[in-house]
Amino acid sequence: MKREITLRINGETHKLEVENRRTLLEVIREDLQLLGTKKMCDMGECGSCTVLLDGMAVNACLTLAVDARGKKIETIEGVAQGGNLHPIQKSFVDKGAVQCGFCSPGMIMTTKAFLKKNPHPTEEEAKTAIAGNLCRCTGYVRIVDAILSAADSVKE
Amino acid sequence: MKDLDFVGKDVPRVDAEVKVTGEAIFSVDVTVPNMLWGRMLRSPLPHARILNIDTSRAERMAGVKAVITGEETPFVFGVSHMDQVPLQTEKVRYVGDPVAAVAAVDVDTALEALERIKVDYEPLPAVFDPEEAMQAGAPIIHEGIERNIAANPCYNIGDVEKAFQEADHVFEDRFETQRVAHVCPEPHNCTAVWDASGKLTFYYCSQMPSVSRVQISKALGIPESKVRVITNHVGGGFGSRATSKFPMDFAAIVLARKSGRPVRIEYARDEEFIFSTFRHKFIMTVKTGIKKDGTITGRHITNICDNGAYCDYGPVVTNVGGAMQGTLYRFMNYRYDGYTVYTNLPYGGAMRGIGNPQVHYAGETQLNMIADRLGMDPLELRLKNAVRTGDETASGAKLKSCGLVECLEEAAEKIGWKEKRANPKPNRGLGIACGVHFTGVRLSPGIDADFAGATMTVNDDGSVNLATSCVDIGSGSSTALTQIAAEVLGIEVDKINTIFGDTETCPMGWGSRASRNTAIGGMAVQKAAEDARRQILEAAGVKMEVHPDDLEIRNSTVFVKSAPGKSMSVADVVRFNRYRKDGQAVMAKYHWDAPSQLADPETGRGNFSMAFSFGAKAIEVEVDPGTGQVHILDVAASQDLGKAINPLGAMGQIEGAVHMGLGFAMSEEIALDETGRMKNPYLLDYRVLTSLDMPPVSAILVETNDPIGPYGAKGVGEMATIGTPDAFVSAVAEATGLYITDLPVTPEKVLLALKRKKSKKKAQ
Repeated sequence: MKREITLRINGETHKLEVENRRTLLEVIREDLQLLGTKKMCDMGECGSCTVLLDGMAVNACLTLAVDARGKKIETIEGVAQGGNLHPIQKSFVDKGAVQCGFCSPGMIMTTKAFLKKNPHPTEEEAKTAIAGNLCRCTGYVRIVDAILSAADSVKE
Repeated sequence: MKDLDFVGKDVPRVDAEVKVTGEAIFSVDVTVPNMLWGRMLRSPLPHARILNIDTSRAERMAGVKAVITGEETPFVFGVSHMDQVPLQTEKVRYVGDPVAAVAAVDVDTALEALERIKVDYEPLPAVFDPEEAMQAGAPIIHEGIERNIAANPCYNIGDVEKAFQEADHVFEDRFETQRVAHVCPEPHNCTAVWDASGKLTFYYCSQMPSVSRVQISKALGIPESKVRVITNHVGGGFGSRATSKFPMDFAAIVLARKSGRPVRIEYARDEEFIFSTFRHKFIMTVKTGIKKDGTITGRHITNICDNGAYCDYGPVVTNVGGAMQGTLYRFMNYRYDGYTVYTNLPYGGAMRGIGNPQVHYAGETQLNMIADRLGMDPLELRLKNAVRTGDETASGAKLKSCGLVECLEEAAEKIGWKEKRANPKPNRGLGIACGVHFTGVRLSPGIDADFAGATMTVNDDGSVNLATSCVDIGSGSSTALTQIAAEVLGIEVDKINTIFGDTETCPMGWGSRASRNTAIGGMAVQKAAEDARRQILEAAGVKMEVHPDDLEIRNSTVFVKSAPGKSMSVADVVRFNRYRKDGQAVMAKYHWDAPSQLADPETGRGNFSMAFSFGAKAIEVEVDPGTGQVHILDVAASQDLGKAINPLGAMGQIEGAVHMGLGFAMSEEIALDETGRMKNPYLLDYRVLTSLDMPPVSAILVETNDPIGPYGAKGVGEMATIGTPDAFVSAVAEATGLYITDLPVTPEKVLLALKRKKSKKKAQ
């Protein structure tokens, strides 16, 4: 069954007709071609599709598009502002936290929600925050480094 | 040598910005108008004759645009053995062997159509154990292959029996490794698009697009010029994309041709685990002769590789570990008997280190067992036997640079080897292991070539377009290659645009395999850049009326060495050169073939790689005797990489490799049921280490400046994977007094071993 819904994504309003059963991940990738949000497992086990719903990090593959109505949705495409990288993105670039880059959007979205809640994290807290985001390239060492460094730059 | 401006610097990845904004397009992100979704029907039986395939009900279904069977994909393929076709017509050889494929308007319709295809099978006796499969009378999986032995790579150097006679001790131990998956973040996928002129554009997450193009062209009988393979960014590879995934490729290509519409096939995560291939399971016996003073006299390794139903890289995988174990220590009596054995199980492929991590695991763990048995320090034992610069090893490798001793010493120093061994603590243990891996390789019989290509144009504004045959699958190769070009040209990194992964715009090369991008790809780039530089200097010499030898380039400016005030921008030189009568563009190309040799077919000996990277891992663990849990306290990972073109990237490679190695050591396993169906094809059940599982890792770069590689560089990514399970198992052994010789070392195994040890003590 299809339903007409309105989704507010990165400050823009999209009117869409979607099947009830479709996930937010499918709708943002397929209907809106916001391809920065990645699909690795499609069952909530890897975190690569992480987006923010009202500031909270969620797996877009486990969220029905119809359930995202009325919420403020933020995807990786909305993180850089006015052509400038967000400090978290800058930190990921500078600290060597990116390799193949497939997990990077999800990692960055998780980090964004996390640093908002906990602007002065310890290393252990940073590791815990991204425990649901799998990376196969980096061993997480430089990702954790980038998160802590981003926290510092936000502090300053 | 002049000071380096770009090489050796922590340059951020050239693709990092587009990756952190989500703008980077991967092959899985590509959609084309009018595209259909393809899916494959796979065998539910491990070994069966196909009696009949009825696709009529699927064909009649609304939304189904094409259905194909093996009749329409008569392409025989393989890496070393031509033993596979995309869709089987006569018999299936493992649970999952594809027999038909459909293209439909969406995935759900395609899946429903698969259910309407009726296949009649006649089950055949199957064999699931390679040691059973090697016995006379075992079911034959491929006609004409006796005892299911597909390949038998051997090394027979010196006189190993005599070496055992001359030894004071001879030890023999058996080791087993498990199947582990690449777990590429981006699932394997491809999109086939035919146009009206008969040209195929193939979007495909390949490590080797040029090779894919050749294979597709040959199979379909169309010119290479009519096949374009485009990778885009690649979401991890680790060897899984080092050959075409033929069933998927050809199914999509033929479905697209039949339906007249583009077709996409994409693996779901559970398919990805099995059908993207995996690291083979090995069963190894290591026999080592050693003198009282610790000198190894000789070694004999027998390795049974559980190949699964098809060869893919299996014979190469069986071979490589054998070559490399003959390259690590100074003994010159060496025998290796590899058996690549077909079973009715899913088939493995190339995975980071290509068989070497498994064989090193056996060899290095046994060396630690021997050190324990003889009461020797495992570090000292290694230092005593380690190969050194200038050595020609048992395998025939000529070591022009070798930092093995430094790697061992630095890893030991970092972990606190001496102090900690002198002051042992209960339940704690230290382990050490070392290894060697090649930088590019000539181990495929008959192919006497190991090359990469680069083309380069310097634009009117002094910026540069560089095209390479090396696909950056996440390793950072594009950044390293850009740094090499910048260094040679004297033009800044941010003015150079490096592209890869498009057979229409990039030169041919083997692509990304065998740790070759930075060194072999780097030499092609260096040589092309030297040519472009020469062209710039000659043109500048004409314009400035100076001999080119008196010119140099730095900061995109050409200077006169003897008159430093006199200069001209590279941009002005390029424009001068182009916009004049009989002018020229600054364009360069280079195809570099690494100076290595094919092995002697009799003994297996040969200097099979341009350079060899060495490394060591030292690991400290604490074992909880109540639960069997192993906590990793510290990891030191050193590597002789010749020269770190980009230290930041190299450290990232090493850290990531330790992550993969620890997963191999302690948590990852593709568990198969009695018919070969994977029991745990999900990321919650197949345990990749999370951020919370990762211990601190100290990556240590040892630079030995190899005389051949660009600026002295050698390979990084695969060597870094080697040694982690060996050091881990040995650390657990020191903590518990027990070597667990079958990976992975799970808490259950540790607990069981502790229990057995306790009851043994009681019995005494």
